[in-house]
Amino acid sequence: MIFFSILVALVVVAQIVELFIPALPWLYNAHIYIVPVIVFYGAMALPFPLMLALAFCAGALLDALTVHVIAGKVEISAGSSILLYGVLAGIMHGLRPLFARGRWEVHCILSGIFTSLIVLAQYLMITFRRGSLVFTREIWWQIAAPGLIAMALAPIVFWSLQWIGRMTGYAYGPERRQFE
Amino acid sequence: MSRTNIIALLIFGAVLAYFLSFGPDMTQKFKSGVYQSLAPFLTSGSGLKKQITSVRSGLKSLDQLEHENASLQVENRELRATNQGLRDVEHEVNRLRHALNYRERSVFKLIAAEIIARDSSTWWRTVTINRGRRDGLETDMPIVTDEGLVGKTTTVSDSISIVLLVSDESCRVAASIEGSREQGIVSGERVTTGMTPLLDLNFLSKQADLKPGQKVYTSGVGGVFPSGLLIGVVKSFRVRELDGQAQLTPAVDLSHLEDVFVVTGRR
Repeated sequence: MIFFSILVALVVVAQIVELFIPALPWLYNAHIYIVPVIVFYGAMALPFPLMLALAFCAGALLDALTVHVIAGKVEISAGSSILLYGVLAGIMHGLRPLFARGRWEVHCILSGIFTSLIVLAQYLMITFRRGSLVFTREIWWQIAAPGLIAMALAPIVFWSLQWIGRMTGYAYGPERRQFE
Repeated sequence: MSRTNIIALLIFGAVLAYFLSFGPDMTQKFKSGVYQSLAPFLTSGSGLKKQITSVRSGLKSLDQLEHENASLQVENRELRATNQGLRDVEHEVNRLRHALNYRERSVFKLIAAEIIARDSSTWWRTVTINRGRRDGLETDMPIVTDEGLVGKTTTVSDSISIVLLVSDESCRVAASIEGSREQGIVSGERVTTGMTPLLDLNFLSKQADLKPGQKVYTSGVGGVFPSGLLIGVVKSFRVRELDGQAQLTPAVDLSHLEDVFVVTGRR
């Protein structure tokens, strides 16, 4: 429970930090997303109910920061990010046996792909609202680049969180034996 | 699947359904509540960012310092020569600056605000300002600088507010063009490539034939933005199948905004 609380706190801190990280002008103004990587780590390290709780916290926070009510209309419904995080974290949770065997590379790659999927889903939702589905080179980069950055960040974040888990005495070991 | 997991999934589904059922009012309340709880962190984070930026900008390499020193010595000699003449002007400038202070000379009632955070998402262009309901702010209040229009407030909590920038695609502003009877709607572009976003002025007539450099102002239609606020300057004009469209350079440098004013009414 201590480790879960730390993960929730880290999600909140990372979400606030993201607000102060400027977009990268040399990468088509792509943004850096740290929260998805933490959530996807939690999806592998936490049991199913806590994984859902973490996905809920991250999704609700993302909803609060991205949902806009303009001229009395909600552009993206609140809860959409919770659903996205829930589904993607659920898929990641299904790959726990690999993680338990110490095979992190699949999860690092998937963290990047899933981060891009979140950005893509947001784009599709606003496109559905605003109309005119367009996919220019810039748009593809703005979708792909956060995923690539998340993929590069994932090993460092995973290693740091693994270390925090050990420090807090998080009992991931028994499940590891169970998978093996 | 164990019973615990099924129960957890059911609870998750129920809470998700509750969130998905939110209407605009509940969404505003939820957003405003979360922002209000994050307000202390955003305010202190903004201060921390400024400190880090100032330290980072102060760090220079030895070559840079030498180069800077040489140019400063030249500049120093020039400045000494002009300094004497400028002393008299200084007094006048101070007097004029005071007289021309935007807040004073503006026809609007303004509340000064500082930008404390920018939107971290890819598809929305918003900023957070350090003024809220306690300062008399409401939703749909125009935000300006002395250079022109910045955007409007969308979510207002007690001490901070979210501002939708004019460069966001969903921020629509009724506009009129200097030296023309044309009227149109200004909105941002979905994706910006450079540091400076551009604006689209849509629904012009095909005969509009706008020239680069023409100024575009708010027309006051719609009730949110008062008339006469500078939105931007025409960069290019093109005729489309049904109408004319102009591309504008925003009057305000939206990527380097620090201080803004909230228009609360006319004097």
